[in-house]
Amino acid sequence: METLYSVFIDPFVQMGQMPDFFMQVLWEGLVSGVLYALIALGFVLIFKSSRIFNFAQGIMVVFAALSLVGLHGFLMPVVGNEFVAAAIAMPLTLGIMYALAMSVERVVLRPLVGQPDIILFMATIGITMFLIGFGEFVFGGENKVMITEALGIPTGAIEFEPFGGFLLLEEKDVFAVVMAIVLVVSLLVFLNKSAMGRAIRALGDDHQAALSVGISLSTIWVLVWFIAGVIALATGIVWGARAGVSFALEVIAYKALPVLMLGGLESVSGAIIGGIAIGLLEKLFEIYWGQPLFGGNTETWFAFIFALIVLLFRPQGLFGEKIIERV
Amino acid sequence: MKQFTNFSRAVAAGALAVAMSTAAMASDSLNFPNLTYRTGPFAGTGTPIMNGQRDYMLMLNARDGGIGGMPVNYIECETGYNTNKGVECYEKTKGDALVTQPWSTGITLQVLPRTNVDRIPILAPGYGSSPMSDGNTFAWAYNPPVSYWDGAYMILDHIGGGDMSTLKGKKIALLHLDHPFGKEPIPLLEKLSELHGFELLTIPVGLKEMQNQSSQWLQIRRERPDNVVMWGWGAMNAGAITEAVKTRYPMDQFVGIWWSGSDADLQNVGAKAKGYKSISFNAPGNFPVLDDIREHVFSKGDSHIKSENDMDTIFYQRGIVISMILAEAAKTAQDNFGEKGISAEQLRWGLENLNITDARLEELGMAGMTPPLKTSCDDHTGHSGAWMLEWNGEEFVKASDLLVPSRELIKPLEEEKSAEYAQNNAPWPGRGDLACN
Repeated sequence: METLYSVFIDPFVQMGQMPDFFMQVLWEGLVSGVLYALIALGFVLIFKSSRIFNFAQGIMVVFAALSLVGLHGFLMPVVGNEFVAAAIAMPLTLGIMYALAMSVERVVLRPLVGQPDIILFMATIGITMFLIGFGEFVFGGENKVMITEALGIPTGAIEFEPFGGFLLLEEKDVFAVVMAIVLVVSLLVFLNKSAMGRAIRALGDDHQAALSVGISLSTIWVLVWFIAGVIALATGIVWGARAGVSFALEVIAYKALPVLMLGGLESVSGAIIGGIAIGLLEKLFEIYWGQPLFGGNTETWFAFIFALIVLLFRPQGLFGEKIIERV
Repeated sequence: MKQFTNFSRAVAAGALAVAMSTAAMASDSLNFPNLTYRTGPFAGTGTPIMNGQRDYMLMLNARDGGIGGMPVNYIECETGYNTNKGVECYEKTKGDALVTQPWSTGITLQVLPRTNVDRIPILAPGYGSSPMSDGNTFAWAYNPPVSYWDGAYMILDHIGGGDMSTLKGKKIALLHLDHPFGKEPIPLLEKLSELHGFELLTIPVGLKEMQNQSSQWLQIRRERPDNVVMWGWGAMNAGAITEAVKTRYPMDQFVGIWWSGSDADLQNVGAKAKGYKSISFNAPGNFPVLDDIREHVFSKGDSHIKSENDMDTIFYQRGIVISMILAEAAKTAQDNFGEKGISAEQLRWGLENLNITDARLEELGMAGMTPPLKTSCDDHTGHSGAWMLEWNGEEFVKASDLLVPSRELIKPLEEEKSAEYAQNNAPWPGRGDLACN
């Protein structure tokens, strides 16, 4: 009886008794969801255009953030002003991500054109290993501080007092949400309205048909890996601003896996909605059911169980395309 | 067939040559492998410590020609704090190793039974399993100068202002990594909770949640504990401190174990974390030993640290203390056995008979850097005590006199748990053929 009360009654009583706390839980869930969606977007873009599950997306987040912080540190003594250093470091970091995209296409993908998907997947594991080693060789393994203020990211907090309680929104979290929205909208416009975007979608639909109408595989792959690099940089900045820049950021890529299972590997909107849904649901479950009933730490498994249940009913995910193959 | 025989001979000759050269190398130096984690999610904790460990050994080689005139062969094997890789590293380096330094409670627990068979001492300063202190059960394992249970006791003693009865009716949260390391203090904290009538709330943090602990800190906001004790490692520390600042949790009620007190973890929030405390078995300062490292290692470009300022950090200096303990054990063994090229078994004896007095610390240029330490057959930890450090917004400063753990309370628990371990792993050799002298 007590268990039934804890499952069906108590959580809702708590939500009603502490509405400010409930709102805080929703906000934290939304922020986590947006951040998961950002990581998932990188995976989706590359899969959409090349059918490659990019295992290196997590380490690309680390590499991009480390490049930005490293370049800023290098430039600071030269220019003497942190804002100027950041203004120079940012395009240089984008340049590094472009060079990385070019290198991946030339050295890894181009020689493997036509190989089975699993070979390309294994190649992205190789890219991960290389970036870990190269990143640690160049930047070292120590924690670094994200150049939050130099980038103009606000660091204060906005406080509300709803229902006599308090609700606190970190300005950098608000920034993360706004930036994610801008990024997603830009991406959707680019994919749907530009010629290049349509080419990416065409490649995602059918490689051979796209090639036959003159779409360049190499150009599109470089472009897509570069966009994934830009998303990795954005993700690295917002996650790094929360808890510093270190190789631990790579681990957060695993949080995107249930998002992809839920939203589908080919759907940009699936990544966004899946990310936000998982962020909100896992937070609500952890606070109102996980901590009282399971002793907490349910976030490590909740999203996977939830995504698995969805897959039982929709194997292609909520927004994925149903693949019918003729036998 | 003849070709095969010739090939076999060649292989055999090669193997013999390698074995001979290895044996020669072993007697020419003191081989100290270190299972490091300079990579991965925990590198932030590992890198500065390993830099300190390495630089101290390099300094001994450069300044004194090693220990007792025998050069130190300091060998790193990278584990990334991964238990499987740690076991691989142990197997890879154990050949001519005098010691193994596993650097993770998970790896320590895995290699613990193997070291009895391989007869190699484990040195796990300030980590590993607390019952390892019982030398009669764990003859080959050493965790000086303080164990996790010592740390938990001293933290609560400090919170209680030296009188734990004042904790009655309070709620104390343990925010811990969901990993063998993070669960280590729970048995002692449960015992103290029963004894002194405070409520213990354990809050686990998963490996994937280290960077985003908003759920854990929402729980803290809802439960309103009087104090939060953190058992964090690597990226978990910076994540927790950031969330504590965000949640507006009073920093003077937030205390971490010694692995949750790295300068780099606090830099991310800087002045906002002012008042955060961390217990430490090394005190910060400018000690003469640092001058020797500057002269013999850093100025020659042999150190891995990028800036001289890195030498002032708590974790770098802790690495020096840890290497000093190992070097002193080797010296103790050399002096006792009258041999420069000691064996692993002789080093084990040295670790069991450590006596690092104030006078010896003065000679080493480390007076006040760590408390005096004495080990014995019964006591493989030494339980020498620690200081509470406080973050002043820019750096850690000493915030207490030397705190000491209660042997009266902790020893029976160590004996109980070590007996339990021996029973669960029967037949456990205990001291076996090793005399206590």
